[in-house]
Amino acid sequence: MKYLTDYSNIFTRYDLNIEVARQAARKVSKDELLQKVADSVVQGDDEEAAKLTKQALATKSPMDVINQGLIPGMNEVSRLWDEGVYFLPQVILASDAMNAGIALCEEAMGKAMDKKGKVVTHTAEGDIHDIGQVIVNALLNANGFEVINLGADVPVDKVVEACRVNNPVMVTGTALMTTTMTAFPKIASQLKRLGLNIPFVCGGGAVSEEYVTSFELGIWGKEANQAPGMAEDALSGDNWQAMRGKWNG
Amino acid sequence: MKFSSQMAYKSADEMIFGTAIKPVKAKRGLVFGGGHVIPEIVPHPRPGSEKTMKSLLREYERANGDALERCVIVGHPQLLIENEHIFQMTHNPKWGGEIAAQSAKQMDDYLQKYGLKAAYRATIADLRKPDMVNMRDSDYTREVIESFAECAKYADIISIESMGGKEVFDHAIIRNDIAGLLFGQAVLGGIDMEWMWNQIVAIAKKNNCIAGGDTNCAQANTAMFMAGGFISKDVPHTLAALSRAICASRTIVAYECGATGPTKDCAYEDPIIKSVTGVPISCEGKTSACAHADLCGNVIAAVTDCWSNEAVEYHDMFGGTTTAVFTEILGYDVAAMNASIDLGYQKEFQACLVNSDKYRGCHGFMLSPDNAWQIGKALVDNNESLYSRGKAAAIKCGELMLGDPKLKLSVFEKESLEGYMKDMKALPDKEADFIDMCLKKYSKVKGFQPKAYGL
Repeated sequence: MKYLTDYSNIFTRYDLNIEVARQAARKVSKDELLQKVADSVVQGDDEEAAKLTKQALATKSPMDVINQGLIPGMNEVSRLWDEGVYFLPQVILASDAMNAGIALCEEAMGKAMDKKGKVVTHTAEGDIHDIGQVIVNALLNANGFEVINLGADVPVDKVVEACRVNNPVMVTGTALMTTTMTAFPKIASQLKRLGLNIPFVCGGGAVSEEYVTSFELGIWGKEANQAPGMAEDALSGDNWQAMRGKWNG
Repeated sequence: MKFSSQMAYKSADEMIFGTAIKPVKAKRGLVFGGGHVIPEIVPHPRPGSEKTMKSLLREYERANGDALERCVIVGHPQLLIENEHIFQMTHNPKWGGEIAAQSAKQMDDYLQKYGLKAAYRATIADLRKPDMVNMRDSDYTREVIESFAECAKYADIISIESMGGKEVFDHAIIRNDIAGLLFGQAVLGGIDMEWMWNQIVAIAKKNNCIAGGDTNCAQANTAMFMAGGFISKDVPHTLAALSRAICASRTIVAYECGATGPTKDCAYEDPIIKSVTGVPISCEGKTSACAHADLCGNVIAAVTDCWSNEAVEYHDMFGGTTTAVFTEILGYDVAAMNASIDLGYQKEFQACLVNSDKYRGCHGFMLSPDNAWQIGKALVDNNESLYSRGKAAAIKCGELMLGDPKLKLSVFEKESLEGYMKDMKALPDKEADFIDMCLKKYSKVKGFQPKAYGL
């Protein structure tokens, strides 16, 4: 087969044009051991994070290990992702490493660490395509939110009940199919009826902005990585109208 | 089930669109892989139409009918219509059956009135989410099997997008874990497909229906879509390409169990499958932009026998309804391909398709006929197990990507790929050892039930 030698008239590799230069993670702790804890998170090494956390807990308080090692490490990962240096798997692995360390700290404290707020997440009834929700869960967790994960193929009533019981700052819905996203306005309607004006972020697959903004409470989520920012807005008191104004339209 | 041990084609050069070594004839005179490419339109119902069987029947009557009508209006001689079941059609097996019956009747009418040759593919929705149900023993499992039986009474072709191994895959793909992809896609996926496809083939035979094929949409396509285009940062393109190579080990199981093709359109691994099996394949590329973007819009057509659009929701456009419009587009694409065949220019046409995308990205590169054939060869040369052939296909794919300087990789992509290659080479040689390792490693993956795979 004949091949071209120059493809510049055929396609443009924009990914190579915008490639971000490698950069090392910043130093985030003055304490040598806690810096190593942070480094293990940055490297996404859960076994190393657990080992170093155990070492640190021998001389430091659990909250110091969390606040001066594990979380600063995760924040550094978030920065590297925001700047295009890291890809999603590196963020997820870092989150796993941070969680491995936090679990040990919580064990030492004898109680769970305080979270920023709760977010209920689910994938629509009749829909089993939940990888988007899995990513949302991991990113919310990595950013300090407590995730009430209802899983996939979740009936409308179950989502509403979870919101009633947990009073989350935000609820999310994921759907791949247009024929399952029809559950979303039903959920929104029931939440409204119960006086639960919780921002309801919907996204995934064929879920469109036009559809989600056609019902009250609905905010369209274009990408999973928007979830932490949206949750921060909800936590700070933004209502669904303000969030829709900021993230949609 | 016997694993494939030789290539259907002696070289990639023998592979061409429109012709398969094992053509398949359907009712109403269509021959897949019989010398010309056939357009395949996939309508999708609008939200709300799923409420009742009556409303859904009406939706498909219009959507499928508009496609048939447009063929007549613009003179397209043949058409394959696929209806991919939405949840409700498989959850209520009678619904899928009724829609298949209605569609077959429409096609009979068009054949009688105009001479249009058409065929109907029913693709059953695999409702079995591995972490939520027992794959072999659940209400959803029974509904899937029952749906096949209902649809096979009327459809020309039955197919599925099976879900085996997705629980491990979903865990692994977002963790850069190549071992998890091999286990979820090649091993668990292959085991589940053998269990499922022996039943599907039996149902097809009983009903004089064609057992079409399967696709790794739930996994390899997830990887490909997450890798996205040139600005995505979700999954490296190199990992998505390896995932595609791995999945050939499980998708081919359908044909090893007796499926004959035409294969499923969204199985981008199909050029590899065709190189090994010789069955007619269905592919989608630029014409599936209505459903998703990809970086192999033309090259994926290089050896296809059907040309599809993935799925388009039924709506009005300036030029008519979406199914009419996309049928027209697909039909004209196919007309150009078929004209090239009849003029003797098919290899030149194929070269244009390949040069369009072979070096656009990793998927176009590995699915270019020459590389797809080599990956298929690695698969059959290492056919001791689902694992060994999946790993060999992935290693070959990686070697090809690293070995061709025309395929430009970013530093991150290249380093990622080198890491996956190193990881794969460190894995056990024997499948039994690999499975033992994975049963421990993934024991805490949410919902993973080894017993559901007979492990």
